[in-house]
Amino acid sequence: MTASVLVPTVVSPEVVSLYIPAIFTGLLVGLIGLLAISYQKNDLHALILTDIVSLGMLILVAAVGTDLAEALILPGLVVELAEILAISEILMSREMRKMDKTVELIPLPLSFNMEILDTAPTFLAIILIIYGAFLSGFTGGAIAGGGILFYVLSKMTRGVPSNTWEGVAGASAIAWCLWIVGFLIFFVAPSYWLLALFLAAFGIFIKVAFKVGLIGVIGREEFKKDKE
Amino acid sequence: MFDIYVYFYTGVLLVILGSIATAIGPGVKDPIVRTLNTEIPSVGVSLILLTYNHTIALLTFIAATVIIMMILLRAIVRMEELGAEL
Repeated sequence: MTASVLVPTVVSPEVVSLYIPAIFTGLLVGLIGLLAISYQKNDLHALILTDIVSLGMLILVAAVGTDLAEALILPGLVVELAEILAISEILMSREMRKMDKTVELIPLPLSFNMEILDTAPTFLAIILIIYGAFLSGFTGGAIAGGGILFYVLSKMTRGVPSNTWEGVAGASAIAWCLWIVGFLIFFVAPSYWLLALFLAAFGIFIKVAFKVGLIGVIGREEFKKDKE
Repeated sequence: MFDIYVYFYTGVLLVILGSIATAIGPGVKDPIVRTLNTEIPSVGVSLILLTYNHTIALLTFIAATVIIMMILLRAIVRMEELGAEL
């Protein structure tokens, strides 16, 4: 294969030789997913199939094989997550309006009133949050966010105070500002690069970890309904 | 010793077969079966990311897949409890 585009010499020949098969796999998978969606009448099935299309997108991006690919996959994943969450909420609320009845926020088929749900979530969430803080940055945020989400979902059977979400959303916004300030310092005062690096790393850590606030904001009305 | 092409093409095979299985596989009329089938291509994508040494992307991908799975299953269970047509 003769490369028709400029390939830097730092890219290993393995990655270059895998580029064409990876691109075609990504395109094929995306095509399969889109065709299946076009034949699909049910909205929920179409939503599940968008997952396949996004996997095709991920392969296309990963085929670049450099740090740029890695940096582009992470926001792609977060956007996909937010998109699926938002569309599933829209589908459910539309269905609820149509049927004119409601179900609880997180339906559990069993009554999860077990002793382990009191003790284990705290322990696991603390380990995940400490490990996430140690990693910092985007990945750490994702891990700590998973810990918080796990904790909240486990405690959900006993009810979560609805005004906690407001605080979580506020802290998330402040962390976002820290991240932006970190980037500004990089350009305005490059000599303080270490401060800027830590502001950016821990800003995005808190921001991503508190993405769980998204679920809280969506469920706020239903929490208020529970309280009455 | 570790031939990267083996990982890569296993991943490619899993992704293509898994996405076909999700689209037209047996029993996909049931949304839970369809959701579980999406796990096969995501294992394939994990292998492809592993070939390219995208460690952070791989870790985030695994976490995101788990959360997407939870969201989808919750949506399915809620829709079923509503009595919606699936």
